Formats: sequence, structure tokens, C-alpha cells
Amino acid sequence: MKSLRRIATAVGLAGLVAAIASAAAVGSTKSVTISVASLIPGSTQAAVDQFNARVAEFEKANPTIKVKPVDYQWTAPTFAAKLAGGTLPTVFEVPFTDARTLGDNGQLADLTPYVKKLPYFSKYNPAVLAEGTDAKGQIIALPKGAYAQALHYNRSLFKEAGLDPNKPPTTWAQLRADAKAIAAKTGKTGYAEMAKDDNTAGWILTTVVYSLGGRMEVGTGTSAKATLDNPKTIQALNLLKAMRWTDNSMGSNFSYSWGDINQAFAAGSIGMYISGSDVYTNLVQASNINPSIYGLSTIPLAKNKTAGVLGGGTEVGVRPDANAAAKAAAVKWIDFFYESPLVSKAQAIANAKTLVANKQPVGVPALPLFNKQQYDLANTWIKPFINVPLNQMKPFLTGIFGESVIPEPEASTQSVYHSLDAVVESVLTNKNTNVVQMLQQANSTAQAAIQQGT
Amino acid sequence: MTDGEGSTGLISTAEWHKRSVRWGIGGLQALLLFALVVGGLGPILWLAKGAITPTIDTITHPMGLFQHGTAWSNLKEAWSTVHVGRYFWNTVVIAFGSWASQLLVATTGGFALSVLQPRYAKVINALLLTTLFVPAVVLLVPLYIEIVHPPLIHHSLIDSYWAVWLPAGASAFNVVLVKRFFDNLPREIFEAARIDGAGPFRLFRSIVLPMSKPILGVVSIFAVLASWKDFLWPLLVLTNPNEQPLSVRLPSIQAQTSLGVFLAAMFIACLVPIAGFLIFQRSFLRGGGLGGALKG
Amino acid sequence: MSALDQLREPALTKRGLSDVTVVPRRTPATWVRGGGLTTLLFLLPLLFVFGAFSWYPIVRTVIMSLQHTNLVQPATWVGFKNFEQVWHDPLFPIAVKNTAYFAGLALLFGYPVPLIAAVLMSEVRKRRGIYSALAYLPVVIPPVVAVLLWKVFYDASSAGAFNTVLGWVHLGPYPWLQSQQWAMPSLVLESTWANAGATVIIYLAALTSVQTELYEAASVDGAGIVRKVWHITLPQLRGVLLVTMILQIIGTAQVFLEPYLFTSGGPANATLTVLLLIFNYAFGNSLGGDYGAATALSLMLAGFLAVFSLVYLRATRSWSTR
Repeated sequence: MKSLRRIATAVGLAGLVAAIASAAAVGSTKSVTISVASLIPGSTQAAVDQFNARVAEFEKANPTIKVKPVDYQWTAPTFAAKLAGGTLPTVFEVPFTDARTLGDNGQLADLTPYVKKLPYFSKYNPAVLAEGTDAKGQIIALPKGAYAQALHYNRSLFKEAGLDPNKPPTTWAQLRADAKAIAAKTGKTGYAEMAKDDNTAGWILTTVVYSLGGRMEVGTGTSAKATLDNPKTIQALNLLKAMRWTDNSMGSNFSYSWGDINQAFAAGSIGMYISGSDVYTNLVQASNINPSIYGLSTIPLAKNKTAGVLGGGTEVGVRPDANAAAKAAAVKWIDFFYESPLVSKAQAIANAKTLVANKQPVGVPALPLFNKQQYDLANTWIKPFINVPLNQMKPFLTGIFGESVIPEPEASTQSVYHSLDAVVESVLTNKNTNVVQMLQQANSTAQAAIQQGT
Repeated sequence: MTDGEGSTGLISTAEWHKRSVRWGIGGLQALLLFALVVGGLGPILWLAKGAITPTIDTITHPMGLFQHGTAWSNLKEAWSTVHVGRYFWNTVVIAFGSWASQLLVATTGGFALSVLQPRYAKVINALLLTTLFVPAVVLLVPLYIEIVHPPLIHHSLIDSYWAVWLPAGASAFNVVLVKRFFDNLPREIFEAARIDGAGPFRLFRSIVLPMSKPILGVVSIFAVLASWKDFLWPLLVLTNPNEQPLSVRLPSIQAQTSLGVFLAAMFIACLVPIAGFLIFQRSFLRGGGLGGALKG
Repeated sequence: MSALDQLREPALTKRGLSDVTVVPRRTPATWVRGGGLTTLLFLLPLLFVFGAFSWYPIVRTVIMSLQHTNLVQPATWVGFKNFEQVWHDPLFPIAVKNTAYFAGLALLFGYPVPLIAAVLMSEVRKRRGIYSALAYLPVVIPPVVAVLLWKVFYDASSAGAFNTVLGWVHLGPYPWLQSQQWAMPSLVLESTWANAGATVIIYLAALTSVQTELYEAASVDGAGIVRKVWHITLPQLRGVLLVTMILQIIGTAQVFLEPYLFTSGGPANATLTVLLLIFNYAFGNSLGGDYGAATALSLMLAGFLAVFSLVYLRATRSWSTR
């Protein structure tokens, strides 16, 4: 009897909760509540406070909208679980690589009518806007930020190794030499590369291959052809092999993921590594980096026409089951939180003020979401608040605009990266890796995934 | 005898008097004790040390001993900034619910099968036995899908503790264990109670349960321990970080936490199991021997 | 009588409540009056929990292995395509080989050593409890903490904890988890540390139930310690030894935590196990999982373990006689 009652109560409660939740989402004319992705779990209290301050400002300006922040971090395995379980917040973030496929599969809400009403809609960089437009031409996501891959280096390790911290390497040969010098003179890792099985290894390898002029795919959609085993990939892997086994300049840890490598860099154990140009924020928020050691430069590019910098970014989307009121509220939030600091002087200053007040970085280099004039203009607005060592990032800021930014492989991006993971790991852990054979296997795996659209 | 004195008689008293035996076997035993202390206790002591050592010292001199003093702040920071306390509490809540679920199912089910003995008991027993031999991997995916899209409720149970508590009750091992214990209870007492007019509920509550304290103790300890250690299932169904238990949370925060604080958080996660073990040692070790169930 | 027989032994020899009254004709009313409803009520928690979270999922696994499921559209029947797909996946033989390697190494490290330790411990005259407590302590540490702790120990630089200690005796530094050769043994070493204590306690319980008279008789016959162990202890323990072996094999065949947390199956799939492959099929793709392949591989593993267990029981039945 007791057990029956207990079960009945549980079911009843669950139903009640569901009813309330849906009632809230339906939204009376009075108020609508949306949940929004906030910060990576484990972020500092200061970062959390800053976010909540912005939420308060938004709610003040929009009294009919209630915003509920939800800790959020996109990683390949957890996103799938949340998507399947229907527990994503109303407004959530996905990388460029997934946005269009999710839209095509009906897993992102169509925001076109709301987005078109935004005053700055025409100023969007068309390439960036395309990342959030699905095959039917509907806008299913707006860009949060775009980044270009960059070379992060430790200025104090450079000094210790007798290298000029204002002259980071501009060719791969130089990078190799610098890594060797750092390893020899300081005992720390000269150059480190992500090599974990969660697609980050393949992501960075693709970056290196792009910088040598190679490409991983030809064509788009399920008819794309995988070209993982092109000569530039072989060249990139051989370079890695040389640095690892001949020069011994890559340290002793070959399982770094995105978060680990940031942590190790902030702790001063890595001389150089490649990651998105915007990771300084994470270095501050998660690892308390000492700003004076940080240097940012462009990735060395080979001198050929196809060499370029891999660019990526994050899109912000809305759950497909959000009703009209929720969608409108969501776009208002996206406008306020993500876009307006780039297009409205007042918002840019307000945002910068709260960031500074909570000791968060302002002015981390990013790629323009709108045209370059808008980008430069927005930077002048926040100039008085910039608290990141911009002069230590000069090599990147001056170099990046002369380089071509190349989008990530379009078809089955994450699967392409995943099939390269094992190749990178093998090169770094097995001296006798048969690079060509492993690449051919990776290529057929990637081709199969492309054809299935997974 | 597992925790006690005396021996099995393998080595007779006469043999013990022989010096070669005493020194030989004794030496091996001393070696074993040394290995157990260094190997068994060592890593845990290192964790305790690391929890209160500054990160930089742990990284550069892992085997050193407080070369630059201690860092009790690690513990404080683990509790307040990393919110180990919250995840600790989540673990407690999940363990409590799982324990209750398992105890409820095992006692009521075992009672019905052993004492009330309906005609269809054989079928249920057979089903339970089959379940016992089905590896857990078989359940993983469909159980997950069932939690995501439950058949009747039409509302995902993801991020709800029920997704952990309810499946926890489906432990065939517990039911079999409790049922066998009930089987061994003297039937005369039931007869006597029935003659006195006791119905099944009275029998259950006032006679069977009080007599079952030992087995319930064993089941409880293993239920709590299993819940504390559980990783994959809570990882899948509890995606909201604020609800996750320690086992799921600790790996995710490693990249955002300095080593000293991280070790402190891990140490805090160990405290309850270790304390519980030290207090309830006898039950652990008796249960660990599975009550002689695997003899012969 | 093996453990299996004991569990299977019907309770018919015990008299239950329902045997006391004689029921002339069964109707729903007599059923209710006979306490049938009450019995059902007592069984409700078990039936609900097992039905919903054990038996139904088992059936669903079989069904899903023959379907293509994504959680958006209804499932479609694809026959044995999932099984073929898994069979032809280049990662499948790798995962099988790695799992066998892990199970084999775990048996090598984790099977005889606890037995030797237990035999030594059974003859400890004073304060055996300390031995037991120390042996079992690693078992109560949450596995996640154990793995994360050993991950710190396994730091491959010369300043890593293990490498520092080995450096004292001029050994190493070793790559531990950063090498395709060393990764799996490193996993097994930690796994043995974390689990061997439970086996020791099981053996100890069995050892202390061996009748002393057997040893006394053998001593009278002039048998030394070694001969007594070989001819009395081990035969007496046969049942326990055989059951723990099969249980260990079944357990290690499903290893997930160590490869997932230590190396994510790396480096270069050197520690990819069957469970990890199932997990990747189902939960590894950010765009949605291949649940058909995951359930097909689960069934293949379960089927293999079932066949293996039957063969094992048949082969060892003659050796485990009483």
C-alpha cells in the first residue's frame, strides 16, 4: 500500500511539474521565462557575478521576460545526451560545425522572422550568417563569436630560452627551432598539441594542414569527397613526428584536450600551442593565468595560395519546441547579450563595465561578425576598458587580417576530426607509426560518415 | 573468523615451533603487511597529503613532505569555490534514495516470494535468476532511451533523481540474498503468529523485518557503497552539473581546478566511504565474504 | 553443491503460509480471500521496478538491435544490418582484442596474488583484522577517485609521482598512459589495486571455513605446509576459485570506467574496450547516437559471455565436485 501511494505521488508530482513547466513556456501575455546557457561549470564566482549582472540589466529593460541562467558547456558526448533528453536550455550554443546539420534535422527553431527585424541585420558578415542558415534558407542560429586559430606562446619561457618574446615564429621551420630551444634550455614542453580522442586532436591537425595549404574535403553535403590523406597532411604529421621523436620538444603528455592544454599553459609548462584566438578568456576564468606570460601570434603559414587559417565559431540557437513568445524573448536575449555589445555603443560600454567590475577580460581578440568597419568601431568603444595585454597580442592583431580565414570542413565535421584523432595520437606515442596507412584508414572512415550524413 | 584470532590449522602448532617455519612464513606475512601498508594505505595517505599541500609543491616534488608548509586553504577552496559540499550533498541524496528503493523492493519482494509463496513464485524466481546473469551492458541503451522518453509519463526523467533511484531497485542479487535469508527463518514463529491472528502486513512489519537486521545491514551497506561509486549511469542521466554526484562531477572540473584543490576535493569525496568502512568494518568484511554463499 | 545449485534450490521444502489452508475451488473471490491480493501488493514494488527497469529494457535491447533508431523519427526495421555494421567496423576487432587483453592481464595480476595473500593472512595469529582492513581499504574508495588519483601518479614526466619513486632506484621515467604499449597494463595495475581487496576477503572467508581436522590428519601423515596447501587448501577452495574466476572474467569484459577516464580509449585506440565502443556508438556523436549499433554490440557481448559461461561451467563441473 505504502509503495503504491509512493509511486502514485511520484507520478503525480512529475506530471504536476511538467504541467507547470509547459504552462510557463506557453507564456501568458504577462510574462515568459526562458532558460539560457550561461558559463562553463566551474567558472569563477566573479565570472558568474558578471553574467548575473547582465541578466539583471536585461530583465530591467524587459520586464515581461524572466531569464534563468543554466551552466553550460558544449562537448560532443554531453550535447548528444542533452539533445536526446530534451534538457537543453531554451537558448543554447553549438559550434559552427553542427549548427546547420541540427537545423536541417529540425532540432533548432526557425528564427528568421525575428532576426530580420533586428536593426543591424544587414551588417552581418555573409559568411558568418551562412553558418547559421540551414539548407532551406531559414536562419536557425545567430553567431556568438567567431575565432581564428592562433598560436599562443609563453613570453617568459621565450625569454628564458634566449628567444625574443616580441618575435614569435613566422614559419614552421622557425617554430620547430624555437620549440627545440625552449625544451633544451628550460626543460619545459616547447610545443604541445591537443591529442585527445574527443575530436580536438583532429581539429588541431586540420588547422596545421590548412596552414600548409591542404584541405580535408572537396565538395559539400553527403556527396563530399574526403581528402584526409593529401600530401599536406602527411607533411604535417611528419613535422609532428620530427618534433616529437627527433627533437624531443613536445614534452611527455600526449593526451591534452582543450581544457587541459589551457590549464597546463597557464601553469607555465608549455612554450607554444595552437587553439582558438579567444581562449584567453578561459585562461583567465578557469586557470587564473598570469597575464604577463601570455603572447598571441598568428599560426605560421606556408607560402602558397591555399594556405590559410582555420576559422570557427559558436552559434546560438533556440529549442525547436519553443513557442512564439519564447522565441521572441530568446531573440531579444541573444540580441542583448551576444550581439548588441558589438553594434551598440551604449551596450558595448555597459557590457565592458560589468566585465571590468568583475575582473573579467575585455578586448580578447575575435573575428568580426559584422563588417570590418563595425569591428573597428566597436573596438574604439571599449578601448578605455580593455584589460587584456593587447600589446602582447600584437603579432596576431596585425597579422590576422592579411590572412585568409578558411571555414572548417563542411560535411560531417566532427566525424572527420574524430577519424584523425587516432592518427595524431599514434604519431605522438609510437615512433614507428605508418602514417600513410593510418591516414588512408582514417580517410575511408571519414568518407563513410560523410555519405551517411553523420 | 575473518577478523579474528586463531588460524585455519594449515600450519600446526608443531610447525610454528620450527624456526624455519616461523621465520619463513612470518617473514612473508611481514612482507605482506608492508606491501599492504605501502600499497593499500600509501596512495590514500598521499591523497591526504596532497590535499593540504600547495599545488606547485605537489607538481614539482610529488614525494616531498610539506617543503614549503601546508595549504589548508585547498580544503576550504574545494568546499566553497569548487562547491564540493553541494556535490557531496547530491551524492548523499542519491545514495539515500537508491538505498530506500533497493530495500523496499528486496524486502517486500523477498517476503512475498519466501513467506507468502504465491503459485506464480516459480516464474518470478526464474525471471530473477535470469536477470542475475544478464550483464549490465545489455540494459544500458534501452534504459537510457526509456528515461529520455518514458512510455506513460511523456516527460523526460533526465535530470531527475528518479532516473537513478528507480532503476537502482532492480537488483536481483539483493532480492535473492534477502529471500534466502527469509527462507532460513524458522517457520514455527510464522505459524505461531498466524494462529495468533496476524495478517501478512503484521507478520512483515513486526516479525520478519526485526529478525532480518543482519541481512538488511549487509544489503544497506552495499546499496550505499554501490550508489557512492556509481559513475556511468548518473553521468548519462544527470546532465545538469548542479545535480551531479561527486563521482560524475570530479572528472569534469579537473581542467578548471588547480591540482591541490582538486586533490582536496577528491579527499573530501573519500571521507564518508572510509569513515563508514572503519565504523562498520565487521559488516563490510562479513558481507564481503558473501556469508559463505560461495563455499564449495 | 555449487553456488548455482544453492540459488536454484526451490523453497518447496519450506512450508509457507499458503499451504496451511486447503482451498476447494479457485475463483477470484477465493483468491482475494486467500490473501492473493495482499501478496500481489507486496510484490508490486518488485514487479514494477524489475518490469520497467530490467525486463522491459532487456526485451527492448533485442528489438532495438534490429532497428534503426534516432529519437526524432519512428524506428525502422533493418534486420541484421546493425550486426553487420558492427562486425565490419575496423574498431570492432580492436575493441575485442583490447578487452581480451585487459581481462587476461587482470586475471594474471589479480587472481593468484589475492590467493597467496589470503593464505598468508589466514595464518596470521594476532590482529588479522589489520590485514583485512588494509586490503579492503582501496575497495571502498570511489572508483572515480581511484582512477583520477592514479592518473596523477601516472604523470609521464620525470617529476611524476611514480617516475620520481622509480627514479630513486634509477628506473624510468616511464610513459605510462602516454604509450600504446604501457597504457593497458597501467589500467590493469590500477584496477587490480582497486579491486583485489574484495577477492582477498572472499578467499579469506572460504579459507577459514576449511575444517581443521583435514589439516591435522595431513600433519599426522607427515605432510609439510606446501603439500597441505596443494592437497587440502586448494581442493577445498575449488568452488570459490572457479566462481571468482568466472565472475572476474565477466566483470572485466565489461570494463568501462578505467579506459574512459584514464585515456578515453587512447592513445590511438590502444585502450578501446567493447563497452567504450558501445558508449561511443550511442553517445559519442554530438548529432545523435547510433542506438542500433550500440544495442547490437551489447547483445553480441552478452551472447559471448553467456556461451563462455556455459562452456566454463560444463568444463569445470567435473573439477568442482563435492
